Amino acid sequence: MTNTVKNRWADYTVLGLSVFLIFCLLFESYIELPNVISWLGRWHPLVLHFPIVLLLIAIFLGLTGKTVPKLLLVIAVLSSLITAILGFFLGMDIPIKGDLLFWHQLLGGATALIAALWYGLDSMGLDKAVYTKVLQIILIGLIGFTGHYGGMVTHGEEFLAFPTEEPDDKIPENPIVYKDVVFRILDDKCVSCHNPNKQKGELVMTSFDKLLQGGENGPILKAGEPEESEMIKRLHLPLEDEEHMPPEGKNPLQDNEIAILEQWIALGASDTLRLNQLPQSEPLVSLIKEMMAPDPFEKWAKIPKVADSTLQNLGSDYLTVSRVASNTEALNVVIFPPPEYRSKTITDLKRIANNIVSLDVSRLPIGMPEIDVIATFANLEKLELDKTPVTDAEVEKLASLKKLVLLKIYDTKITDKSISTFKKLPDLKSLYLYSTEVSKNAVADLKKEKPNLLINDGIDKQTQAFFVETDSITDN
Amino acid sequence: MEKDKKEDENTKKDENPLKVNRRHFFSQLSVGIGSLALGSLLIPDLFKGTGAAETAVQPLGIPHFAPKAKRIIYLFQAGAPSQFETFDYKPTLRKRMGEDLPASIRNGQRLTGMTANQDKFPLMPPAVDFKQHGKSGTYISDYFPHIAKIADDITVVRSMHTEAINHDPAITFFQTGSQISGRPSMGSWMSYGLGSENKNLPSFVVLTSRGKGNSQGLYSKLWSSGFLDSKHQGVLLRSGKDPVLYLNDPDGLSRSDKRHLLDEVSALNKMHHVETGDDEIESRIAQYEMAYRMQMSVPDVMDISKEPESIIKLYGEDCQVPGTYAANALQARRLAENGVRFIQLYHQGWDQHGNLPDEMAGQAKDVDQASAALVMDLKQRGMLDDTLVVWGGEFGRSNYCQGKFDPKNYGRDHHPRAFSIWMAGGGIKPGLNYGQTDEFGYNVVENPVHINDFHATLMYALDLDHEQLTYKYQGRRFRLTDVAGTVVKDLLA
Repeated sequence: MTNTVKNRWADYTVLGLSVFLIFCLLFESYIELPNVISWLGRWHPLVLHFPIVLLLIAIFLGLTGKTVPKLLLVIAVLSSLITAILGFFLGMDIPIKGDLLFWHQLLGGATALIAALWYGLDSMGLDKAVYTKVLQIILIGLIGFTGHYGGMVTHGEEFLAFPTEEPDDKIPENPIVYKDVVFRILDDKCVSCHNPNKQKGELVMTSFDKLLQGGENGPILKAGEPEESEMIKRLHLPLEDEEHMPPEGKNPLQDNEIAILEQWIALGASDTLRLNQLPQSEPLVSLIKEMMAPDPFEKWAKIPKVADSTLQNLGSDYLTVSRVASNTEALNVVIFPPPEYRSKTITDLKRIANNIVSLDVSRLPIGMPEIDVIATFANLEKLELDKTPVTDAEVEKLASLKKLVLLKIYDTKITDKSISTFKKLPDLKSLYLYSTEVSKNAVADLKKEKPNLLINDGIDKQTQAFFVETDSITDN
Repeated sequence: MEKDKKEDENTKKDENPLKVNRRHFFSQLSVGIGSLALGSLLIPDLFKGTGAAETAVQPLGIPHFAPKAKRIIYLFQAGAPSQFETFDYKPTLRKRMGEDLPASIRNGQRLTGMTANQDKFPLMPPAVDFKQHGKSGTYISDYFPHIAKIADDITVVRSMHTEAINHDPAITFFQTGSQISGRPSMGSWMSYGLGSENKNLPSFVVLTSRGKGNSQGLYSKLWSSGFLDSKHQGVLLRSGKDPVLYLNDPDGLSRSDKRHLLDEVSALNKMHHVETGDDEIESRIAQYEMAYRMQMSVPDVMDISKEPESIIKLYGEDCQVPGTYAANALQARRLAENGVRFIQLYHQGWDQHGNLPDEMAGQAKDVDQASAALVMDLKQRGMLDDTLVVWGGEFGRSNYCQGKFDPKNYGRDHHPRAFSIWMAGGGIKPGLNYGQTDEFGYNVVENPVHINDFHATLMYALDLDHEQLTYKYQGRRFRLTDVAGTVVKDLLA
């Protein structure tokens, strides 16, 4: 007996909520919600998980010919109706609905209403008929699509897209200024709010035409006149200003990005202009080239992490370990000659072998044990070995330093034998090689083999002679 | 023998900075664990290797990008060398020699008391010839034959300008960013921003020398750390056997006695610090330790006896005479090699109100060869890439004659609206001629560089943002450029 009463209550609730939902959907534009109700809408993302699971379980039982427990169906249907209504409340916050939201709402409403219909048929005892099964199958589809569109609304359309083979985020060689540079900036900083789905200020920046069209206050850019363009004006407003774009809390544009937008507008805001159509003196050219320059830290992205405490422990009065820049794991090590030198100073650096990109051990009495360790510093780019007792034997070990760009080895005892090692260093770009026993011929030979290598062989004889002859102070 | 050995062991123990005996250990254990626990409560990141620990390792202004320059050598020509006899070639002055400076050019510029009473301002051409040098075709006067050899390594800025017209405010402005004394010196700001590279030497060192020309005073306020921590203060290294006064131990005091003394003084100071919380006490403790280490490091850096003959010849024989500009220039290179961030040289005697041709020739001989040698020496060591060298005075000089009009023996008064300096290395474009003055050399007509802009640019080369590197004092944040300054990006490579 209690069971029937309960069911009757459930019947009325399902019917009431269904009617309310239909009303909401039909008269959406006439409805204005009090704050509390609009706050209730925020619960939609939480509640929505119940109907998905419960409905799917109920449908599974139904389709496999098992009896669907009444209580399960009641809860499933009620939760779908509540979810749909809360979703409607939430949707009221957004002034202009994009396609995604429109479809999500429509399908969501349909899901709830069809679930209610199923409940109605079930209550009337028609649940064994074929159309119940049809409804159940339709429901599966609806749940799937509603969920999918909803997911795209919150996480973005790209969320479920298959990862493309190689995300090509490099600016091409001769970029189209709008497509490859300007749009990239807008896409990065503006489009998250100014897209067809969100349309803040009725402005859409996802296509060139829409950008020219402007927003609720008319066009946002005036070709040739960046100072008169609303977009540029707002970028320059103080951050506290209400009208500043992007609004406080969002990622602001960098100075060079703003400059690029300005220059592009100054040059007529064309969507076909290519970089090579501009004279080199045009400021836009250097701005874009600056943007195209590779990230200096990219090459260090794979260097293992190192804790600041490690740096602190390794450092001493005579040894300075520091990051090349605050946001990188690449390290710079400088060792000054201590009163009592021990090779442990250098061999201890093994712990950070892969982090050291720059090492200065000049003037230290180092030998083979140290060089053996230094030779394992795979990421070493700059090595200062000047005024050390190293010989050809030690230099030979350095052939393993494939990333070495700069080597200072002046004032040492190395001879022509070391030249073959230098030839093995593929990235070597500058070599400080004077006051050694390397012959002129060997240097010439090295220059021939590596024409791009800058060999510094000291102050040229002529200038040195001039300085000796005209010692301006002694004749004073 | 045995006694000696024992003393030796004692010395070793005493020199250990972590000097802890059993009593120390137990007395500190309780406090230690307690403060560790408290510390972890107050600073949750304490044991995560970030937060507090990070600030200890990385100095304040740790660059966000790998900077071009790591250090600055500033060859300050105190007294203000005339741009008309150095780098700003103005043939018009010869064509219109003796003519009165047109009022339209002077345009209301205030004058110093020294020439304000002159009825005429006759234009005075330089008593020295100019030639173009290097691929850059830089005009350099014949007073500087050696600097002429490095014309393609340096960038001459001919459009410097300042507001001050007298030496003291002008030099104070150049060194501290304010005409009124009391602000931290440039070198102190750099030390504050970059920290020291070598813990055995101060990060800011000053060397002075004096030429025979008319001189103006130099005061220690120019290298003061102002309101910054006093460890950022410039340390004046003197010539002679005592580079730092009172650094050496008195006769009869052994190094281990000194160590012992420092440990005890430091313990007392720490107690005082706990009582008062004054951070300057910590600075003082650190400075005692620094001085102790400098007892070893300074004589080593200052000892040029191991420099090869070729280097001595390059800087000029005078570099073997302590206290000369040449000796200081060579010293500057050695300090740079040893990780000093900011090396400030001053050469006095550039204030030619009269007798200019003779005096300037003498002053130029003092500095020409050694300045050029320094740049070349840094270059051959691959250090010019990360060392920024600056050469220049505090303002310019007038294009008109001060005193009796005699093209062979004339004087020039102070002039703030335009003057020339040069820079080399450390991320500055080489071989550039930047900025222009009008045909009279009186006003800047192209690319003016104000002292604030100059400071901002220098800081930028070290990857310090002049707007971000601030220090809060007396209720507001101060910077070297205060509320002005724009980075001159055209100067940067």
